[in-house]
Amino acid sequence: MTYPDPDDPVAPARPGVRPFLQSGPQHSTGGYTPTGEQPPVEASTNKLRPFVITSGRTDGGDPDIGMETQVTLVHGAPPSRLSPETRAIVALCEESPISVAEISARLRLHLGVTRILVGDLRASGQLDVHVLENDTPDPDTIMRVIRGLRSIS
Amino acid sequence: MDFDPSANRVVGTARIPGAPAPKKAPVPVKIIVAGGFGVGKTTTVGAISEISPLTTEAEMTSESVGIDNPGQATMKTGTTVAMDFGVLTIDQTLKLYIFGTPGQTRFAFMWDDLVKGALGALVVVDTNRIDDCYPAVDYFERAGLPFVVGINTFNGQMSYSVEEVRWALAVREDVPVISFDARFRASVRDALLVVLDQALDKAIRMKS
Repeated sequence: MTYPDPDDPVAPARPGVRPFLQSGPQHSTGGYTPTGEQPPVEASTNKLRPFVITSGRTDGGDPDIGMETQVTLVHGAPPSRLSPETRAIVALCEESPISVAEISARLRLHLGVTRILVGDLRASGQLDVHVLENDTPDPDTIMRVIRGLRSIS
Repeated sequence: MDFDPSANRVVGTARIPGAPAPKKAPVPVKIIVAGGFGVGKTTTVGAISEISPLTTEAEMTSESVGIDNPGQATMKTGTTVAMDFGVLTIDQTLKLYIFGTPGQTRFAFMWDDLVKGALGALVVVDTNRIDDCYPAVDYFERAGLPFVVGINTFNGQMSYSVEEVRWALAVREDVPVISFDARFRASVRDALLVVLDQALDKAIRMKS
């Protein structure tokens, strides 16, 4: 059983964090929260923190995630707290499969950043990333592309 | 040929009437369109793409500069390079992506990524600035990626003939050097078909 101390430097010392991240138990309005009902402080709050942090990671993007790699939404994925950028990615994937390059272009996110965020969302089970088992093109696929191209005017 | 511009340009015959739209992700394939600044890469991509070309930005990292540009140590980190690309839906299970990439050596850091899994490349050449395409030709030769040299004729004018360009580039006999007009869909389609021919040759050779 804890009573938040208004003078406690911990809670007021966080104004630098963007508002949507300030949803930990220390901000419950009642002043009294039964310990048993306290929502767990999610690790993802920190993991998916601002774009600023992610953009600091210049590598760490999965090399299997190419520009043309298709991404789809995992339906019924457990809800998780997302940053505006990752939420936007999830929203883009809702309708139909979309490539990493299209996500990057439509959200005006750098390709490298997009890759890292897509990798994060894949790791947290929000997105399916369809990595091809075999990235050397086979003759049948090429023939299909040729036939498809020939039929356009 | 009848053409409904409002409809998606879905080509091929794989769509089964009445079948529900599959949620399954299509298999993506890609072709690279490379060349110097202003040779018509974006025009080429736009002519064939079913969407207006999108732009994605990649960041040049200090690491890649170190690896790919040992001679250009002064290159600042954090330089951004824009890349245009388009999409062509072949059928519901197959999508062709066309990536336009700058052809200068200092952008070569992106090419490794691009070339991975690519069917082939079209190197766009402006006969007024032939040497702009040398780095791309060098790179694709070394990477073993099937490529075609496409001279963009703009308004039907070429300062040099196809033979002269071939001589200047000194590409292998089996590398096609063709001329095309980046503004016209049919012309770009034919140029890409030559690339695909090369890709098919290589794929068949690899298989056997």
